[in-house]
Amino acid sequence: MKGKVRLNFRLNGEERHDEIEPNQTLCDYLHDVAGTTGVKKGCDTGECGACTVLLDGMPVTSCLVLAPQVDGRDVVTVEGLGKTARPNPVQRAFVEHDAVQCGYCIPGMIVTLSWIRDHVPEASDAEIRRLMSGNLCRCTGYQQQIDALKTALGTASRSG
Amino acid sequence: MKSFQYLAPIPQFDYLAPRKLSEVFDLLEVHGREAAVIAGGTDLTIALKERTAAPKVVIDLCHLRSELGGITYGKGVLRIGALATFSEIEASHPVAKYANALREASANVGTLQIRTIATLGGNLATASPAADSAPPLIALGANVGILGRSGERTLPVQGIFAGPKRNALQVGEIISSVEVPALGGVRSAWTRAAVRNENVLSAVSVAVASIVRDGTFGPSRIALGAVAPTPMLAETASKAMTGSRATAERAEEVARLAAEDARPISDIRASARYRKHLVHVLTRRLIMGVLSEERVS
Repeated sequence: MKGKVRLNFRLNGEERHDEIEPNQTLCDYLHDVAGTTGVKKGCDTGECGACTVLLDGMPVTSCLVLAPQVDGRDVVTVEGLGKTARPNPVQRAFVEHDAVQCGYCIPGMIVTLSWIRDHVPEASDAEIRRLMSGNLCRCTGYQQQIDALKTALGTASRSG
Repeated sequence: MKSFQYLAPIPQFDYLAPRKLSEVFDLLEVHGREAAVIAGGTDLTIALKERTAAPKVVIDLCHLRSELGGITYGKGVLRIGALATFSEIEASHPVAKYANALREASANVGTLQIRTIATLGGNLATASPAADSAPPLIALGANVGILGRSGERTLPVQGIFAGPKRNALQVGEIISSVEVPALGGVRSAWTRAAVRNENVLSAVSVAVASIVRDGTFGPSRIALGAVAPTPMLAETASKAMTGSRATAERAEEVARLAAEDARPISDIRASARYRKHLVHVLTRRLIMGVLSEERVS
C-alpha cells in the first residue's frame, strides 16, 4: 500500500505536475528528477546550506524537506534567480569580487544572499554573518562573499 | 555507522496530508505508533535518514495552519500555535514584548534555513534535552496545549519532556499550542554556550525570568537546557531568587545554586564539570542583565 503521491507546485515560476514516491527529500527530487542541478547535496543534514532553495519565498535547506511537503507551494532554486546571460545583482557581484573558488557552496550561498538583499537590505555586518551562518564555504573565508553582497546592495565602502 | 545509511534511500512510507483535524485523529487512531507526524520536518527528515524513525505512515499537518499556527496575544496570554516557525517567533512583536527569552532563543535555533521551517511544536515534540525553546518557556511558566480526539489537556512545558528524545504525548495526541503568561513587568533573557556562535547544538542553555521591583526580585524562575535528561527548572535557585534583594551578591549566590541544581553528563559537547561551571557563569550573567535593564528603565 506504499503509494505514490501527486505533487503540484511552482518551480522557478512554472507549474510542475508530477507523481512521486514520498520517501525522497526535496533536495534529491530537485536535483535528480526535476533537473535543477544547481541544488547541491552537501551534508544532507541541514548544516552546510549547499541545497538552499526558497520555499514560499523563504530560504530552506531542501535536504530537510520531504518532496511531498511542497505540494501547492512555490519553490525557487538558483536557476530561478538569474541566468548566465542575465545574472542577478548578487551573482554579478560574486564574479566581480572573485567570490567563487571551488563553487560547490555557491548556488546555496547565492540563494541565501539574494534573500538577504531583498528582505534585510539594512542588515549590519554582524547580522549578515548571522544570517549566512547556515551556508558553509571551505574555500573563501566568506569575506569576498560579504563584499559581493554589499556591492549588490550598493552599500560597499569606497575604501579598499 | 550512521553515515553510510545516508547513501541508501529512505525506506518507503505512505504520506498523507489531511485537511481537517478530525482526519488527523482518525489516522492516528488507525496507524498508532506506526505513524509519524510531520510539521516542519527538520528533525523527522534526519531521523528517517538515520533510521531512528521508520514510520509506515507520515501525517503532514501542513493544511492545518489556521488551526495550529499563528501567534496571538490577548487577556494576558501569549498563544503560539504549534506550527509557528522560529522565524515567525523571532519576528513577533508580542513575543518580543512578553517573552524576550523565547525571542532570543528562537533567533539562535539552527540556521536561517532551519528557522524558516522548524516549528515550536516540533521542537517540543522531539524532546531533545538541548531543545533551545524549552528553557525560556519553562522560565516564563508556559503551558503546552495537547489535542486529542476527546479534547484538549495542558501540561507545564517541562511536563512534555518524558526523557531524552521522548515526549509525553499519548498515541492519538498532537501538540496544538503553547501558552505563555504575558504579564507586564516580567523581564526575561536567554543565553547559551556552544563550541561556536551559530549553527550548533547548545552545550548549556539558560533562561531567567523575573520581575524586579523596589530593589527586590519578585517571582523568578531559572530554567536550564542540556544539563539533565530533560530541560529543567532550577528549583533551588528559583526559590532563592524569588523575594530576595536584587543585588550582584545575590545574583552570584543564585547562580551558584543553579549550578548545583544542574545534573549534567559528560558528552562530546562538554564535560559535566564544565557544564556546571557554564550554568554558574551564564546564570549570573543573565541575572546581572535583568538587573541592569531594570536600572535603565
